[in-house]
Amino acid sequence: MGYPHPPHPKETVVLSQYFGDPEARTYEGWKKRGGYTALEQALSMAPGEIIEIVKESGLRGRGGAGFPTGLKWSFMPKEKTKPHYLCCNADESEPGTFKDREIMRWTPHALIEGCAIAQYAIQAEVTYIYIRGEFTEPLAIMQQALEEAYRHGILGKDAMGKKGLRLDMYIHRGAGAYICGEETALMNSIEGRRGNPRIKPPFPAAYGVFGMPTTINNVETLAAVPHIINRGAAWYKSLSLSSPKSTGTKLFSVCGHVRKPGNYEVTMGFPLGELIYDLCGGMREGRKLKACIPGGSSVPILNREETESCLLDYEGCIEKGTMLGSGGVIVFDDSADMVYQIMRLARFYAHESCAQCTQCREGTAWTVRILQRILAGEGEMKDLDLLLELAEQMTGKTICVLSDSCAAPVVSGIKKFRDEFEAYIKGARRPVTALA
Amino acid sequence: MPTVTVNGKRVNAPEGATILEAARLAGIEIPTLCWYPKLPVVGNCRICVVSVEGQPKLLPACATKVSDGMTIATESEEAVEARREVLRLLLERYPADHLRNGGRAQPRNEFERYVVQYGVEPTPVAERDLSLREGDERPGDPMIRHDMSLCILCTRCVRACEDIQVVGVLDVAYRGEHAQIIVGNDGDPDKAACTWCGECVRVCPTGAIFEVLPRERFGEHPVRSDRVVRSVCPYCGVGCQVDLHVRDNEVVRVTSPDILLDTPNQGSTCVKGRFGYDFVQHRDRLTRPLIRKGWVKREGRWVWEGPTGELRRSGPWRTIAGEGVELKPPAPPRATGKRLRDLPLLERVTQDIRDRAATPAEWYEPFREATWEEALDLVASELARIHRERGPGAMAVFQSAKCSNEENYLLQRLFRARFGTNNVDHCTRLCHSTSVSAMQAALNTAAASGSMREIEEACDVIFIAGANTTETHPVFGAAIKRAHKRGAFLIVADPRKIELARRADIHLQMQPGTDVALFNAMLNHILACGLENQEFIAKRTKNFEAVRRAVQPYTPERAEAITGVPAALIREAAERYARGPNTTTLWAMGLTQHLTGHDMVTALLNLILATGMIGRWGAAMMPVRGQNNVQGASDMGAIPFVYPDYQPVSDPKIREKFARVWGVDPESMSLEPGLKVTEMAREDSPIRALYIMGENPIISDPDIAHAEAWFATLEFLAVQDLFLTETARYADVVLPGASFAEKTGTYVNTERRIQIAHKAIEPPGEARADWEIIVDLSNRLGLPTPFKSPEEVMEEIRKVAPAWAGVTYRRLEGAGLQYPVPTEDHPGTPFLFADRFPTEDGKATFHPVEYSDPAELPDEEYPFVMNTGRQLYHWHTGTMTRRSRGLDAREPLAVVEIHPEDAEELGVTEGDPVRITSRRGTIVTSVRISDRVARRQVFVPFHFREAAANLLTSPVLEPHAKMAELKVCAVRIEKVPVEAAV
Ligand SMILES: Cc1cc2nc3c(=O)[nH]c(=O)nc-3n(C[C@H](O)[C@H](O)[C@H](O)COP(=O)(O)O)c2cc1C
Ligand code: SF4
Ligand code: SF4
Ligand code: FES
Repeated sequence: MGYPHPPHPKETVVLSQYFGDPEARTYEGWKKRGGYTALEQALSMAPGEIIEIVKESGLRGRGGAGFPTGLKWSFMPKEKTKPHYLCCNADESEPGTFKDREIMRWTPHALIEGCAIAQYAIQAEVTYIYIRGEFTEPLAIMQQALEEAYRHGILGKDAMGKKGLRLDMYIHRGAGAYICGEETALMNSIEGRRGNPRIKPPFPAAYGVFGMPTTINNVETLAAVPHIINRGAAWYKSLSLSSPKSTGTKLFSVCGHVRKPGNYEVTMGFPLGELIYDLCGGMREGRKLKACIPGGSSVPILNREETESCLLDYEGCIEKGTMLGSGGVIVFDDSADMVYQIMRLARFYAHESCAQCTQCREGTAWTVRILQRILAGEGEMKDLDLLLELAEQMTGKTICVLSDSCAAPVVSGIKKFRDEFEAYIKGARRPVTALA
Repeated sequence: MPTVTVNGKRVNAPEGATILEAARLAGIEIPTLCWYPKLPVVGNCRICVVSVEGQPKLLPACATKVSDGMTIATESEEAVEARREVLRLLLERYPADHLRNGGRAQPRNEFERYVVQYGVEPTPVAERDLSLREGDERPGDPMIRHDMSLCILCTRCVRACEDIQVVGVLDVAYRGEHAQIIVGNDGDPDKAACTWCGECVRVCPTGAIFEVLPRERFGEHPVRSDRVVRSVCPYCGVGCQVDLHVRDNEVVRVTSPDILLDTPNQGSTCVKGRFGYDFVQHRDRLTRPLIRKGWVKREGRWVWEGPTGELRRSGPWRTIAGEGVELKPPAPPRATGKRLRDLPLLERVTQDIRDRAATPAEWYEPFREATWEEALDLVASELARIHRERGPGAMAVFQSAKCSNEENYLLQRLFRARFGTNNVDHCTRLCHSTSVSAMQAALNTAAASGSMREIEEACDVIFIAGANTTETHPVFGAAIKRAHKRGAFLIVADPRKIELARRADIHLQMQPGTDVALFNAMLNHILACGLENQEFIAKRTKNFEAVRRAVQPYTPERAEAITGVPAALIREAAERYARGPNTTTLWAMGLTQHLTGHDMVTALLNLILATGMIGRWGAAMMPVRGQNNVQGASDMGAIPFVYPDYQPVSDPKIREKFARVWGVDPESMSLEPGLKVTEMAREDSPIRALYIMGENPIISDPDIAHAEAWFATLEFLAVQDLFLTETARYADVVLPGASFAEKTGTYVNTERRIQIAHKAIEPPGEARADWEIIVDLSNRLGLPTPFKSPEEVMEEIRKVAPAWAGVTYRRLEGAGLQYPVPTEDHPGTPFLFADRFPTEDGKATFHPVEYSDPAELPDEEYPFVMNTGRQLYHWHTGTMTRRSRGLDAREPLAVVEIHPEDAEELGVTEGDPVRITSRRGTIVTSVRISDRVARRQVFVPFHFREAAANLLTSPVLEPHAKMAELKVCAVRIEKVPVEAAV
């Protein structure tokens, strides 16, 4: 549902069905809406069966990388020799992305239920829900819901009335670092260390929180799980408009120069053009679409033609040279100064770099300085080469992909909007000196 | 075993090896910056990237494990390009103008060498987009400073501090381009519990963290040295190997050698090892022999024509007791701050400490400088005369745990062979003598059974009793902390809340001197739970039943009443100890320096034996030895009842053997065990002539006032030392010896490891290596002593000491050898007693022990219990460390540690002067408030002449080993009125 707007007929409302419905937040309200039946059912199955169903459904990670969720769960050791952990990644800090926030705000019990099922499936005793520090309202709601869940025996000792089953869930609040959304940085942060991504391998399934086998999933990924259990893998798999490798529904957070920004839930493979022009009401009066970042700020920018022909699923985005990412759709109309926008994006990454890797620490900062220099009218043509060289070094060579994320908009931006850069360099545009 | 191809070369790499390791096996070097041996791999600098066939991305060689069949190209175009770019990016923040213009640049450090090697041209600083890096600077620090513009954020320093030293002073703060190295929260290393070990200095690849060198402090020029000489640190029993960098016959810097080598320290040192070497070139060093004015040679004979009676050994100084009661000047100001600019008066702290802790000029007044000929002639003729006139019983020698094995061997050889006396001893008496007596009674051994590194590698439970390892053996302490970090269970029994106690899983904080009750109760509980190792007891020991009966009454509840440790905690510790599976037991002065020291160690040995926690890798018995060569001096027979290698002097066959090698008549050597140090310095002692090599008993022995008086009554006293010490000032002749850096010799560390230290520089002036002095003296006294080098001495030692038979100088290069080394092809012995003990029947013996109170308990008049011991920054009587600029700057003042609540009751605050009085003496010292000590207990370090702790300690002797009770005495503490202070 395109919350805060009424649902559009082209939407497929699953996760967002109760957005805007305050009653759905409470335990009783959630029960009335069919809550916790999936968990009930899941607990009657063997953990392995659940993993098979999730595999079968084709669900892929909604946090950015799109890794098949069932497969990820199956990496956890079958023989338990150590404690297992589940982490729910609710650190949603990617510019342009605000879907997890709404899931937590309106349907906290959906997330708890999804976590509980996953936790049971991977045989974890504890789930950590890592919530972005700035999310004060979602935090309060989640805390409330968690208390309710404990109070009603959903969690804790003999969870769901199952003798001997213990499910514990803790909320861990972030402290304002984007990098802590990266899965291994998040684990370091939970452990009380500096939120630096860890080198992989070892992967979390072998060495995660406190060095124990761990699975980490995004809020949206986990929230989808109860629906899959309730309605079956085949149903979920059938939700697919284009590539059979992308199934289910996806929430897209649309922001920028559209008339009706908001969260829209559509079936995988939905055309990006329709999302912008129909669901979001199109561009502002007298403005034309110029560019779009379809997957949160970390993915390459699309120009108008690409945007209008892009299908919103993992494969469709790759075909256009970008990625589905987290589903944060940032739309620019022809009033946008792309050089400035790209500098803003780069500055975000430079600010958020954990500063471990040479290329990222120095590369992001240098990129920003060069872009600022260009904006100030002090750039030279060779600076564009320098930017591309830097981007080349920042791509595929670091511990995590934050560095790549900084390079992506720069490379695609120079490729697709080179004339705007050159205009600044040649003095054809008024220098921007006050850099907000 | 995976087989991989690196640049076309096939290598078999061990399972789990990284690409970096595999490449090294193939003889191929890959550049690294953030990687460093023994540090956790973080893979952040990305300079080590290589191409791997079939992989789309470059992979970091340091962090990628090889898999079978991998084909690796370390110098692919892509990889080299990425590497150059890493260097270029780092250079953008680095002051690199001196590296411009390509290959002609002079690299100054590891990082710059890569820059030059890869021919990366830095942008001129003035034309850059990015600014130089910042970070905390430690301005005014006496030993370690930072120039963070040189930092490349490899985080080696952070990991070295956190993961090797387990301290955690340094960290990375902020993100992105503002990321920087910080010191604690506010830039103050003191508050962040820095120990100044200098591990960060060692690992930093750029010199961003650097040492303040005694000569070129902060100078423009990097310190260059002509030579690097491998040596062994002269301080504690860990025996860290160090490299001495020499220029113009001076040690200009100390570093620690290649850490891949299996040395005890593997590259680490503590603050003393790395920064405490400037005493070597201190201006107080004796450069010529001194003879007390009054000795003259008339008609070929030496006669004393000076004053007699009271004035015979007097001088223009106050006695230690006299100095003790004086008020002390305040400490110099301490410099702190985050940045240099916070500290405009940097030079304020450069005051020369040589004028504070140095030998007062007037101490030299009673002496005149002499030639070696004169001095040795006087020593030889006086020793010979007293021996002739008063017999062997009047002769005695104090040997030195700071001198080499060869020197100790030679000196006891001289006194035993030439003077027929066994009055041969050294400071082990006040150290582990009770351990030795207890271990000999139980197992017939005198040294640690295991190795230090097994604690880190293999032990599950660590039990430490009375050993403040992190301060007294810091490098070993760090290994213990690492073991604890990796999951070993740590139990600490100590009346003080020392660092390890704070980290420990169980801290048994007992009343001082009650250890026997504690250990007996632990054994009681172990037996009650049936956790003893019955098989071990049956096969490897005897007399167990006696101990079983003896510990019966020591229930944990009864022990709680005596020790103050809750019974439940005693039970838990006992169970953990017994369950192991591998428990290592460590102890030190906290047990041994008691009236019941022998019993305490025996009770601990009972615990070890009853649980079978000995003789396996990971289950070791480790008395932690104090001095760098206290083990070696003991091994060399500097003990009144044994010849070298613990062969009893009372055995005529052994005497025969030694007499033959030493070329004397067996009958001239004594079968009687000699007197011990603590028995010599007493009024009724028969000793008339005393020779002291490198010891300072006037500060280190209990009840100084009496000891000092006794020394003044000697007929003849010769002292061989580096400085005119508190003891040497009473001598007739002072012979200037050589420091560790000025001679070659071998030393034995606490794990029986014999290591070699090479001569790096010449001794100052006419000072001579100590072995040379003894060789010369021996020959003058008519004992054939033909050695021309320490190596020749070792050749004789090998002949007489079976455990050393396989030791040659050549074999000692590298990590040394752990004795026993019975033959030249024997690899040495990392741990002992795998299947038998060195007793006649191969079994160990249990000895029941009962608890008894310490000699002096607090009462109304003396309500506090005083404990003495060492500090991190000082060594024993301070002879060396107080003459070391950096070390003394850290701890410039004599202090007493006192509990905050006691301080409040006394109405004193940090730094206030207080008067401490025991039944024997009084000192005035300043207050340090610390909750390390329990209520009603105080701790006084014994390093400070001006407030000598041993003025207060009690001379009562332990019956087996004649150890003094240095750890417990009752004292009274009074506030010194402030008016008196001004
Ligand atoms: C710099 C960086 C930031 C990230 N931030 C988030 C985030 O805020 N939320 C999230 O779910 N995943 C984030 N991720 C992705 C996670 O690392 C991880 O892939 C995801 O949580 C896995 O869950 P999924 O499989 O359910 O998508 C981030 C990744 C990177 C590299
Ligand atoms: S790429 Fe950047 S954010 Fe990621 S680990 Fe490296 S320095 Fe940190
Ligand atoms: S100070 Fe030295 S060791 Fe520490 S991060 Fe910087 S360059 Fe590396
Ligand atoms: S040495 Fe491998 S990444 Fe730094």
